[in-house]
Amino acid sequence: MKIKFTIIALLAVFSVTKGQGTFSGAFETNVNVFLRDSAINAFNTPQYDRQFYGGESWLSINYSYKDLTIGGRFDMFNNSNLRVPTDSYSGIGIGRWYAKKSINKLEISAGYLYDQIGSGFIFKAFETRPLFIDNALYGAMLKYNFSDTWQIMGFAGKQKNAFSNYTGNLKGARLEGFFSFGNEESPVTLAPGAGFVGRTISDENMAGVVDALRTYQDVDRFIPNHNTYSGTIYNTLAYKGLRLYTEAALKSSDIFYNPFAVKTELVGTTVGKLEQKSGSVLYGSLSYTKSKLGLTLEAKRTSNFNFRIDPNQRLLRGLVNYLTPLNRQNTYRLTARYNPAAQDISELAFAADVRYKFSKSLSANVNFSDIKTIEGDRLFQELFTELIYKYKRKWQLTSGIQFVTYNQEIYEMKSEVPLVKTVVPYVDFLYRFDSKNTLRTEFQYMDTKQDFGSWLFGLAEYSIAPKWSFEASGMYNTHPKKANSKGEIEKTLYPTLGVVFYHEAQRYTLRYVKQVEGVVCSGGICRLEPAFSGIRFNMATTF
Amino acid sequence: MTHTLKFSLIMAAGLLFSCKEIPITISDPFIPESDRVVLIEELTGASCSNCPKGSATIDNILSRHEGKVVAIGVHGKFLSYPTPKSKYDFRNQKAKELEAWFTGWQGKPSASVNRSVDPSSGLIVQDNPDLWLSGVERELQKPHVMNILLDTKYNTDTRQVDLEIAVIPLTDLPGNYNISIYLTESGIVDAQADGTVIIENFTFKHVLMDMMTKHSGDVLATDLEKNKVIKKNYSYTLPSNVPGLWNAQNMEVIVMVSRSSPTDVSVLQAASVHVIK
Repeated sequence: MKIKFTIIALLAVFSVTKGQGTFSGAFETNVNVFLRDSAINAFNTPQYDRQFYGGESWLSINYSYKDLTIGGRFDMFNNSNLRVPTDSYSGIGIGRWYAKKSINKLEISAGYLYDQIGSGFIFKAFETRPLFIDNALYGAMLKYNFSDTWQIMGFAGKQKNAFSNYTGNLKGARLEGFFSFGNEESPVTLAPGAGFVGRTISDENMAGVVDALRTYQDVDRFIPNHNTYSGTIYNTLAYKGLRLYTEAALKSSDIFYNPFAVKTELVGTTVGKLEQKSGSVLYGSLSYTKSKLGLTLEAKRTSNFNFRIDPNQRLLRGLVNYLTPLNRQNTYRLTARYNPAAQDISELAFAADVRYKFSKSLSANVNFSDIKTIEGDRLFQELFTELIYKYKRKWQLTSGIQFVTYNQEIYEMKSEVPLVKTVVPYVDFLYRFDSKNTLRTEFQYMDTKQDFGSWLFGLAEYSIAPKWSFEASGMYNTHPKKANSKGEIEKTLYPTLGVVFYHEAQRYTLRYVKQVEGVVCSGGICRLEPAFSGIRFNMATTF
Repeated sequence: MTHTLKFSLIMAAGLLFSCKEIPITISDPFIPESDRVVLIEELTGASCSNCPKGSATIDNILSRHEGKVVAIGVHGKFLSYPTPKSKYDFRNQKAKELEAWFTGWQGKPSASVNRSVDPSSGLIVQDNPDLWLSGVERELQKPHVMNILLDTKYNTDTRQVDLEIAVIPLTDLPGNYNISIYLTESGIVDAQADGTVIIENFTFKHVLMDMMTKHSGDVLATDLEKNKVIKKNYSYTLPSNVPGLWNAQNMEVIVMVSRSSPTDVSVLQAASVHVIK
């Protein structure tokens, strides 16, 4: 606590020092007004029942003077539904502080730090606010630059958990470099790297593991280890328009919860138990660009790579690493509806992306991804096409079709449900009336016989540059398959009305929203992402 | 490149020759002999594909600590709707209210052990069934401070259950106390989601059918005195118009006394008795 006050005091002192150093920062706030609507199941949470309001705010301030950088972040959660979507969370405090000093080739950092090794397979300290993820490393980090192209980094600390820290310990190292050889005009370059992370489970967390193992029958018991070691080797090879990234990560025997493992009970069996096994991730990405063509091929194999600071944690809590998903990250409402989470127990994924520019006005993109378990069970498949036609600077038409196969049994832990198969044609039309006034419209239709049934989505967005944007959209369940809270299968409209105002670096958004509910499961525990009905305000700025 | 190779070799060596730990001994904790009875309120549901694991865990706990634990299966709202193969709908108003009263849980199955704060979750609910047994054992290690004596009379013609309760504090207990009375039914065979399949002949146990008190309990008394007996009487008529359910032979009455303060709602003692003795 004293350290936090010292940092704040230092910031205050520097702030009154004229003409020295630079200040930068950012502010973001969300305000949600909850309007109960039992017809879409937007009820039975503290916010709908009695609190009516919930929100979050983050204020980051950084100060740099010569080789010193210090910073802090104020976090506030006020009846927020981010941490647990069905509950209310409140907390106010210093969410982050850090100090960084460069001394010749050495850089010293301490506090709450963000960094990663390679693609993040063995370590990634990062923040994702919409999911209440803030996996900052609370500790110290040293970086030493041997030369302009070679750097070694080492760290040790704990993982952040909201306004406290998990009790387990992390330490690690990374070495990265860069080579260039061959012809000076078109050299071959290599950017190799290697990393190591060690995690020690705290005694109190191990007590939880032992408590769990005591309930296991002999056939499922194991002697748990406190320490797990993971290592990774990666490299980027580039030559002309060709780029090849490869990474191989290994993890020594580690305790993790396998939601698909069969557990022996006193009578019969159940699914899901702690296991202690080693794991691996192999990843490769080959991209090629030449004049009008862009091609990317990716492959990833994941086996038993759930890596947490505390094996008793589930869902998104306590993750030390990050596994990159290979599927396309879609942005349209209906094309993004069935999105596969990267599987950490067993996954074999391939993806291909081809882009071709036929002319200045016409371009196309085809993306294909195929994800199965290592054992061969279908998890996800997507074929996405996109055609973009630009007519001068007057209008632009984006259109295509998406085919998806999605395994709800695995991604949402639903029993005896068929694979969800969807076909989504979409059109996005942008028309410029003049240099200031623009109208953008979106139409999407999802044809499916599974889950909620078919949907129709439409959006109109009118922008008056540079200040205003107005939007109206609706998502309509044209062929509903699921009953609402009254037990009736009804065609329901989920409308959104919004206005966005820009002023310099500030962005203000106000929306009236009705959003469909969903269930998301992971690690053997299902999490309800409830329907939303109400008003959302967001303000974000940098300075 | 030389640096990379050296570093990789060091790391590989670290992985291969890392220090060997002294193995942990997995042993059961000491549970003192006492008449303390612990309550488990399990949040479950027929459409919850992970919930058979919760049921098996409860069976395991009841078997390990026979007579010292009573369980209730709360089929509230989340994933409690019937499966496509279900005959029955176990949801009821009191179960929904009780489920909503337990805030903070992130998924099912979850359970509250004596409504005491779980050290790993920081809540009175724990969503990891593997940790319910240790929660029960922590509670069994606490002092036994109260006895609850129960007696039921069941009229087969009117289907009325008359319940007589005697609460006997074994020490002076300052503060406010609530009493909660649950009616549960076991031995109901119906469909239950289990992983990616539905078990059609799953045997449901301890299903909360209704409560004789409010979901949050009725006021029992304030500042309980040692050996000063508090008597309560309740009556309930079992419905007769629901085929296959409300079988008095398979029903139990569960009673518990809990603290009633803004910061402490923990259970002091629980007791159970069959509707038909």
